[in-house]
Amino acid sequence: MSVLPLEGVRIIDFAQVFAGPACTRILADLGADVIRFESPNRLDVTRNLIITDNDGMDHTWHRASYFIIRNASKRELVVDLAKEEAREIIRKLAATADVVVESFTPRVMANFGLHYEALKEIKPDIIMCSLSGYGQYGPMRDYAGYGMGLEPASGVASITGYKDGPPMRSGLSFTDPYSGFLGAGAILTALQYRRRSGKGQYIDLSEQEAAIPIMGAALAEYQMTGRVKERMGDRSDWAAPQGCYRCAGDDRWAVISCTDDAEFGRMADAMGHREWTDDPRFATVLARRQNHDALDALITAWTSTRDHYDVMRTLQEAGVRAAPVLDGKEILFDPHFKARGQFDTVDQPLLGKRLIPRHVAAKFGRFEAKARSHAPLLGEHNAEVLKELGYSDDEIAKLQEDGSIADKPNLPVPPALIGAALRLPYDRYLEHGILQAIEPDYREQLGIAD
Amino acid sequence: MPERALDGLQVVDISQGIAGPYATKLLADAGALVTKVEPPGGDYSRRLGPFPGDVPDPASSGLYHQLNTSKRGITLDVSVASGQVVLKKLLAGADVFVAGEKASTLKAWGLSYDDLKADFPDLVVAQVSPFGATGPYAEYDGNSLTAMAMSTIMYNTGEPDREPLATGGEPGEYIAGVQLWIGILATLENRAKNGGGDHVDVAMSDAVACADEYNSAMYGFQGAIRRRYYSRHIFGYPNDIMACADGHVVVIPGAGGFRSPLTPDVVSPMALLLEDPELDNNPVFTGAGERMIRWREFEELVQPYLSTHTAMEIVMTAQALRLPFAFVPTVADLLSDEHLAERHHFEHVATPGGDLTIPGQPFKMSETPLKAAPAPARGSANEQVLAGELGYSKDDLRILSDRGVI
Repeated sequence: MSVLPLEGVRIIDFAQVFAGPACTRILADLGADVIRFESPNRLDVTRNLIITDNDGMDHTWHRASYFIIRNASKRELVVDLAKEEAREIIRKLAATADVVVESFTPRVMANFGLHYEALKEIKPDIIMCSLSGYGQYGPMRDYAGYGMGLEPASGVASITGYKDGPPMRSGLSFTDPYSGFLGAGAILTALQYRRRSGKGQYIDLSEQEAAIPIMGAALAEYQMTGRVKERMGDRSDWAAPQGCYRCAGDDRWAVISCTDDAEFGRMADAMGHREWTDDPRFATVLARRQNHDALDALITAWTSTRDHYDVMRTLQEAGVRAAPVLDGKEILFDPHFKARGQFDTVDQPLLGKRLIPRHVAAKFGRFEAKARSHAPLLGEHNAEVLKELGYSDDEIAKLQEDGSIADKPNLPVPPALIGAALRLPYDRYLEHGILQAIEPDYREQLGIAD
Repeated sequence: MPERALDGLQVVDISQGIAGPYATKLLADAGALVTKVEPPGGDYSRRLGPFPGDVPDPASSGLYHQLNTSKRGITLDVSVASGQVVLKKLLAGADVFVAGEKASTLKAWGLSYDDLKADFPDLVVAQVSPFGATGPYAEYDGNSLTAMAMSTIMYNTGEPDREPLATGGEPGEYIAGVQLWIGILATLENRAKNGGGDHVDVAMSDAVACADEYNSAMYGFQGAIRRRYYSRHIFGYPNDIMACADGHVVVIPGAGGFRSPLTPDVVSPMALLLEDPELDNNPVFTGAGERMIRWREFEELVQPYLSTHTAMEIVMTAQALRLPFAFVPTVADLLSDEHLAERHHFEHVATPGGDLTIPGQPFKMSETPLKAAPAPARGSANEQVLAGELGYSKDDLRILSDRGVI
């Protein structure tokens, strides 16, 4: 097996939920030894989300797919930072670490005596990255930030939505992974600097700020023309026609985008309507923008009798940008994502073989940045990590006994109650169209059955 | 001048548009010497605008200026043999070569990793394209919209009875640019430790698929296929944008917003916000599943408060109750935002069309802060690079210019 770029780099990962874990998942897949921290009193909330329903609801915290896909390739240490013995473990670990990542609101790390200045005392060249909603200073620094609020806070939602409709969120909190990716790159940049200078540093990443560039030209447009960009559905300032068109089948769609007259001509040809290019309503890009609704109706007449993949193939073979709109099942079967290895098969304790999405998009020649191991069970690596730090078996047993370390959550109610509370009413969701389908034989279909 | 994180790193970038240039902007703002190689007709982004007063002028395209900060610019037609000769001289001193073309185009130009690795064994060849250098769609073309379509994000965005909706702006391009930047930095790390250049191949479609929150996991772990439902999170309603007296706010109750079985006797923060403790006894209010399904009834419960309070009142009160509510600013709001101003987020660069405020750095580094210098005018470094560094004579430059190579 080839050597990975970050082998020998140790990262203590205090990050929770989505953005931070996406950041450290990238670094773990690149070979870093990422040791996750969790508190037995307050688990990462994602250990409660999307519980795998294969054989019962016990140990729900080991079955949460939301947690698993973000935390593969990592180790985990569960300690109770309220106890001095536990903080001592973290300080010892910090002395061996290269990077610390955290995603609490500001002040939390300082309350534990684990802020950058304190960690720097222990390890002078440490690199620390704080991922937060609004950054470490500024009037909104203490605001609690969830991904579903930070995409709007970055301005992106103000230009997302149907024409004349209200601002909308994306169907998932995508500024979370986006800021996590940026955090990983920031840490890689800091590692380059440390190699040359021997110096560590502190990185303050605000998810709100990180996502502002995604708006593209809108900021410049406002300054240069005075226009506040309006919502325009799937249309574009730079392409016409551009849109999402209904295809054959239940709720199947394809996108098409023609950036110039030549591409529009190829599309008209491929659809068997060369005459569109002579129609004064469509002959130029300005005319097509003005008569977009009429053109969309003509395009839909063609797409609506065709499979969405056929729309892509026919148009792409003719040199026109097009793609099917894929759902959560289709992406797992798509020939492109299969050929490029977007999903790694990982043997997850209690759950068997599962498909874990990549977090590093790049394909390299000399190494592969993929899920290297299953996501850790709660406190799975307590003893292993403590032994590496020089703790004896007796000392570890004592830490376990006094609750400084744990491999079970401290729950105020019986686990079965929590399991029941976490069960989303999928049957009703199906009935109301919140879910499209539930397929009990999905593991057979995916070829990952036991 | 303070030290920069990537001082000494040399990058040659022939990519155009958004994804590739954003990756090299992040390198250039961190101190790398990025030589931007534009075709003689100019970077694609110069045609996209926006332009001051809507008067098209490739020299002052806003998008070009925000994506190409801190670089130096030369013009070179790398699609012809004489341009490729010049480019290869430039690559001799480079650590990283960035391209935004399909694999077949780079091969036709003799500039693919396989073409270059013998002559430049330590060079990182980084390539970003709509569908990647390999796989069944490698020759297909695309953009941010096609990447969003393939990612599952779009299928789950929008109203249930209308077409799926792409996220605004150019998310696919920026996500791909950031993933390309990560790939380049990872390869440099590998080269420093284990030696040798490498090929970095990023597909825009793959980059956006990496940002899927749970759509593929819902099928791969539960057999459940989600579909768009007003862009709502599967974890429950609201967690969504709602109208208020003067615009919109994001109503996010968070983990502790509603009455919990652990604290049955405490008035919930959401009920406190809405100034009605009785709400805690209403199943439409307290039950996650009920809120999701009977969301119209839930909206009736919250509208009296939302419609009579401003976004500022709502968000500030909610945050004081530790509810992670958020604002829904427009670009105009962001430019006058006090929080962003106090963080000195935005940067200002000189352009031929006047000073331009551009999105600031996506993270703040304490020792080696990133900083944007103005983007180069087209071909402004031709003489410095070609004559000064590569040793071409004035006559050579004139000949190359006459033939349209530079």
